[in-house]
Amino acid sequence: MDAGSFLSALTPLNIAFALFGVAAGTVIGSIPGLTATMAVAVLVPITFSMEPASALILLGAIYTGAIYGGAYAAILLNTPGTPSAIATTFDGYPMAKRGEGDLAVALACFASVFGGLVGALALLFLAPPLSSVALAFGPVEYFWLAIFGLSLIASLSSGNLLKGLAGGAFGLILSTVGVAEISADIRLTFGSQTMIGGFGVVGALIGLYCIPVLIDLVAVPDRHLDVKEGVKSVRIGEAARLAFKSKFNLLRSSVIGTLVGILPGAGGSVAGLVAYSEAKRTARDDQKFGEGEPDGIIATEAANNATVGGGFIPTLVLGIPGTPPDAVILGALLVQGVRTGPALFQSGGGSIAYTFIYGLIIATVLMLPVGLLIGRYAYKSIVTIPKAVLVPAVGFMTIIGTFAIRNSVSDVIIMILLGVFGWIVGRFGFAASPIVLGLILGPIAEQGFVQTWIIGSATNNLAGMFFGRPISQAIVAFTLLSLIYPLFAARRKSAQLNEHS
Amino acid sequence: MSTDTPVGADRQGQTGSLLVAGFFVLAGAITLYDTTRYTDVDSMVFPRAAATLLIICSMLSLVSTWLRPSAEPGFGQGSWWRRLLLVASMLGACLLMPVIGFLGAGCVAFVGGLIAAMHLRWSAATAFRFGGSGLIIMVGFYALFRYALHVPLP
Amino acid sequence: MKKRNLLKSMIAAGVLSAMSFGAQAELNGSVNYIIPFGPGGESDISARLQQPFFKEKFGEDLVVSYQPGGGGAVGWASLNGLSDDGQTIMGVNLPHIIIKPAQKDVGFTTDGINTFYMFHYTPDAIVVTADSPYQTLDDLIADAKANPAQVTLSGSGKASANHLAQIKFDKMAGIQTTYVPFKGTGAAVTALLGKQVKAEWGYSTVGAKQGDAVRMLAVAMEERHPLFPDVPTFKELGFDMVGGAYRGIALPESASAETTQMWSDMIGQINADEGFRQQMLDGGFAMLDVDAAGMDEFMAARTEEYLADAREAGLIE
Repeated sequence: MDAGSFLSALTPLNIAFALFGVAAGTVIGSIPGLTATMAVAVLVPITFSMEPASALILLGAIYTGAIYGGAYAAILLNTPGTPSAIATTFDGYPMAKRGEGDLAVALACFASVFGGLVGALALLFLAPPLSSVALAFGPVEYFWLAIFGLSLIASLSSGNLLKGLAGGAFGLILSTVGVAEISADIRLTFGSQTMIGGFGVVGALIGLYCIPVLIDLVAVPDRHLDVKEGVKSVRIGEAARLAFKSKFNLLRSSVIGTLVGILPGAGGSVAGLVAYSEAKRTARDDQKFGEGEPDGIIATEAANNATVGGGFIPTLVLGIPGTPPDAVILGALLVQGVRTGPALFQSGGGSIAYTFIYGLIIATVLMLPVGLLIGRYAYKSIVTIPKAVLVPAVGFMTIIGTFAIRNSVSDVIIMILLGVFGWIVGRFGFAASPIVLGLILGPIAEQGFVQTWIIGSATNNLAGMFFGRPISQAIVAFTLLSLIYPLFAARRKSAQLNEHS
Repeated sequence: MSTDTPVGADRQGQTGSLLVAGFFVLAGAITLYDTTRYTDVDSMVFPRAAATLLIICSMLSLVSTWLRPSAEPGFGQGSWWRRLLLVASMLGACLLMPVIGFLGAGCVAFVGGLIAAMHLRWSAATAFRFGGSGLIIMVGFYALFRYALHVPLP
Repeated sequence: MKKRNLLKSMIAAGVLSAMSFGAQAELNGSVNYIIPFGPGGESDISARLQQPFFKEKFGEDLVVSYQPGGGGAVGWASLNGLSDDGQTIMGVNLPHIIIKPAQKDVGFTTDGINTFYMFHYTPDAIVVTADSPYQTLDDLIADAKANPAQVTLSGSGKASANHLAQIKFDKMAGIQTTYVPFKGTGAAVTALLGKQVKAEWGYSTVGAKQGDAVRMLAVAMEERHPLFPDVPTFKELGFDMVGGAYRGIALPESASAETTQMWSDMIGQINADEGFRQQMLDGGFAMLDVDAAGMDEFMAARTEEYLADAREAGLIE
């Protein structure tokens, strides 16, 4: 933590890189289909001719900006711009619909900056000890983590548990389509080569979330989002007050995000879902998650930006990338001749690592003004643009974005058909989110389960493998808690009502 | 949404729920059938568990909807030709893409979506304005993906 | 198919000798280099190492993009539909492109992939953590003999290089170990470092990347890797195992003989660069130089070897 690294991060050139990176990342992240991985991958060659530290700052800034930018599309179009922003749609879009999109965007910005700072500070001060978290998580822990994530379905589909569970199971099945990752079969393709790659998460997200919105938009002449009369379009003060009021939520979600970010098998989407689930479990009675509750946005956005700093911990300490963008950055580092490992964090030889971390912190701070500015612009343009232009423009974006993932037209067709399917079943109470949860968490659950099973049967210790390890016991306990607590709360509420009557 | 529910929507919501649940049962059965031809045990466990869960939940949902009609909104009001035009133009664009290139296909999707979403009265001015802004958006995105992000668009 | 490739290389040789008369293929702007996996793996790292040398030697950008799906199958199935003007190339991996089409219909065939250069391989290696009780390969074998199936080894994927190596070695040593498949080498190494498994079937690159945290018990090379002079080869220890995962680059099948030859020459030039070789060796890779002319022979030998291994292992019929 030498002052020299801090000063070298503060050169005008590095600050300019951080500023440019955050702005470019925010814009890229807000376009559905363009992920942080892609943005970082495209820019890697440019960084070869740069100083290693500056190159890292630029890449880190783009990454963190893109994770934040994913919130715009989630709030204003109900479409997560990046998978990390899935849970942002739960409350962000309802808020935007009732005319509070500007507030939601500003809230997302505050939460993202806070979460990003917590993650980066953890990277600065605690990286070597925290990296052991990545190693403590074995197959069985990932399995239970996925089950914990799936338990969110129960609370997401209140009143319609059966339909939610069915949707989740359907999502799990969708996740198995194609060539299996860790076994040797091709599943559910029915001989078609188009399905060999399976349902890509990003394409499925665009289809299941965005297409239904478009179909509903064209059917009726109403406005896309309500606009409140007499309210100025900047609600920064109000957002700051709300964020401050939820400081515990902010802090808890940021810590969750940092920890989940450290896990190489999880990532921003899981972090956001876990933080959302915890925020919902500990909510006060008057909070209405899923209907436009600011705390839902705060939890998700703080958590997913905290994964940026968290993900760099195993990347830099162990050479094991925490997230896909980290993997790209790790490759860039290798070409630059920087060897990762604990040595990077000892004083002296570690100046590159520290310069980068300070650069990441600077970039995160810069995200506040940049994010509020771009957010305001994004909100205004989405609200004022006539519906007749908005719908085809977004439709075009979904096509080009889905195409860009794998340069494949059939991916686009699958995306549209999946969207139509999602719209139809959604109209009869089978919501999209359980399906998406199943699709995202399915591979984590399956791989964890199969690996645990193999190790457990080899060592004749199946029960011990699944239930005997302390971390998995803790996760199981949290899962049970978040499943039982809503029932308990509902009962207490009805008891209170009875007393009153 | 409930204020504009047409007469007979309850019935539609009921029938639709039953049909979707039935579809899910079928999907689960197909998955179970598919797993029988896998050669690797590791590939079977998970899809079988998921399919069993899917079948049980969908069956229960089927029964409960039968006994207690659900209050799902169904398709609601709104114009069908607009919905169909939107989806058809997007799908059409995909099919045409290899033939007429990405920008041409984009125009097909855009014009289809524009007509589908146009609830105002058409005039030469609006047509020009909307079409023009659409062209700018598409060319802008095309340039961004093609030249800045190196996506090989056809 | 093979005849056609042979014909192509003959034409190419003819064209090359008549180069002064013109008619040579040339690059026209930046090149799209598709990796059919996600970022961070060996395929990605070696492509990233080529990137700056390509720019330096030939003045054009080599743009790396990722198209993961189906363990590479999605990318390879799409390869022959891509533009064949030499501006698009794709990484290929052995044994993937041999085993996968032999197992199931995955939308491409081994012969249908126009590989023009194999530029390196990552030798198989057994890796343990630095504090593992296994000091030598014999320790591991002894433990496996005393406790059949209880020695767990992580590895990347099934029917993969790691998996084939495990089956082959078990047979040679007369032991029974348990293979635990993970998604990619990174996850397999994480499981090893976290002590979820007792050892890992990996590559020499793991030893280079993890440094002091791990120890390699043996590598599957003819001679010891220059980066690890203390790690014995399997051959020294009495097991005839040489090989690993081979990586190369391919063009669409319809690419002209001139384009194929141009690319083979260009990658050959990068491979000949001392700076590049050194970076690759430092990363734990082992260099390989199979150009377009020698590809048919090389592929035929590898195909025979891999298919025999896979058949013996019961992975294909």
